[in-house]
Amino acid sequence: MPNVDINPQDVMIQLKHLRKVFGRQEVLRDVNLDIRRGETMVVIGQSGGGKSVILKHMIGLLQPSAGEVTIDNIVISTSEFFDTRTIRKKMGMVFQMGALFDSMSTGENIAFALREHNPQLTEEQIQNIVHEKLELINLRAEFASKMPAELSGGMRKRVALARAIALNPEVILYDEPTTGLDPITSDVINDLILDMQRKLHVTSVVVTHDMASAFKVADRIAMLYNGHIIQVGTVDEIKNTTNPYVKQFITGQRKLPSGPGIDAPASED
Amino acid sequence: MAVGEIFWLLFQIVRRVPLVRKNPELTIRQMVAIGVSSIPLLFVTSLFTGAVAAVQAEYQFRNFIPDKFIGTAICKMVLIELGPILTALVLAGRVGSALAAEIGSMKGKEELAAFEALNLDPLRYLALPRFLAFFFMVPCLSILSSFLAIIGGWFVCVIALDITTYTYYTGLQYMFQNMDLFSGIIKSFAFGVIIFLLGYYHGLNAGEGAKGVGNATMKTVVSACVSLLIFDFFIALLMFS
Repeated sequence: MPNVDINPQDVMIQLKHLRKVFGRQEVLRDVNLDIRRGETMVVIGQSGGGKSVILKHMIGLLQPSAGEVTIDNIVISTSEFFDTRTIRKKMGMVFQMGALFDSMSTGENIAFALREHNPQLTEEQIQNIVHEKLELINLRAEFASKMPAELSGGMRKRVALARAIALNPEVILYDEPTTGLDPITSDVINDLILDMQRKLHVTSVVVTHDMASAFKVADRIAMLYNGHIIQVGTVDEIKNTTNPYVKQFITGQRKLPSGPGIDAPASED
Repeated sequence: MAVGEIFWLLFQIVRRVPLVRKNPELTIRQMVAIGVSSIPLLFVTSLFTGAVAAVQAEYQFRNFIPDKFIGTAICKMVLIELGPILTALVLAGRVGSALAAEIGSMKGKEELAAFEALNLDPLRYLALPRFLAFFFMVPCLSILSSFLAIIGGWFVCVIALDITTYTYYTGLQYMFQNMDLFSGIIKSFAFGVIIFLLGYYHGLNAGEGAKGVGNATMKTVVSACVSLLIFDFFIALLMFS
């Protein structure tokens, strides 16, 4: 479902006929999605449905089986072509479990890529940037010396966000940022996602199945179902959707409302 | 298939060797982790290996061969074979399996993907420092192990076998050839590379969860032990036949 009414110059990320097969399993069948510059797009869908796979295509961690991924009007990958190194400088990613480097302190985690990509920076400048990023995610400078193992789940995700924004990306990708967190900590993360958009003017893509989070942070929501994007819309459009699958998902119903021509999606239990 | 992938991995890492000067601290950190922390274990295994070698040599030589040849036998055995291969087998179990577990666990927790997402090359920042640490530390540990085994042999000779230090020392020098020492060191460089490659490869291909990581460590130890012994045979054939 491409958004044909969008000016191509306003599109930051474009997925065209994206297909991904792992062995015999076709995870993405035909995904079409345009994400506008500066917006927060939330991709929702069932666990194991391929949401994270979409995100990994955007940052070039996976190569499509078919279709193409375009970032900022540059095609970064198709089934034959794969060059994501230059485009990754524009992107930051917050992984589901944080994926902090366990052998490094919090400060080192944030500084590592910064130091490697900006050899002209002095150690003092790097430490200043680390403290500035920690401040952005509302953590005190003392946290720079803590090891990841000493941090709670919520703090790990905040540090992962600080690491993702260390290189001042234009796009931030969030892979299930609130999974495994209590509702209050989840809300702190939601506020941080909104903060990032407000303060850094970044384009954000959030993959989640936490509807409270999706409704809070999204400018638009895309629903992935059965390897396709079946609906894209604003929060209000999604809340008032007539699509039975979207309605079932956002209301957390185990079964679809019965009706002619409606097949229940596969249940995981 | 796996052999091809392992050689491709080696090629990719060797290509990056010039980059080591940009982050020497990463390699030094790994050298300490692999080398220094393995010394206590090697200390015990090497001393007792030398001690057992002395007891066995004395038993075999008794009434037939003069005592001074016990030192000669220990020196030859330890420098050519026991030092390098036992060190390699011990390190395969200790640091080879730890490498597979570390990389497998990093893969499971998406740390490897995080490196790529930050536009950092995992081969440069993870594989290269570990490769160089194994390459240089295994021979160093092998030399240390040989030295400790000779000390272990001497200790048993003097304390339990009624052989004087002078006799033992004379035997050590007798028939000593530089080639004995060099062959052990040269082999150890290759042993270091074998242990690293198998540990890293199995870590990269580890399955999900604790079971996947456990399998990766088991495969590393088994494949490294088998590969080390086979390689040792061929190098012995090449150097001494």
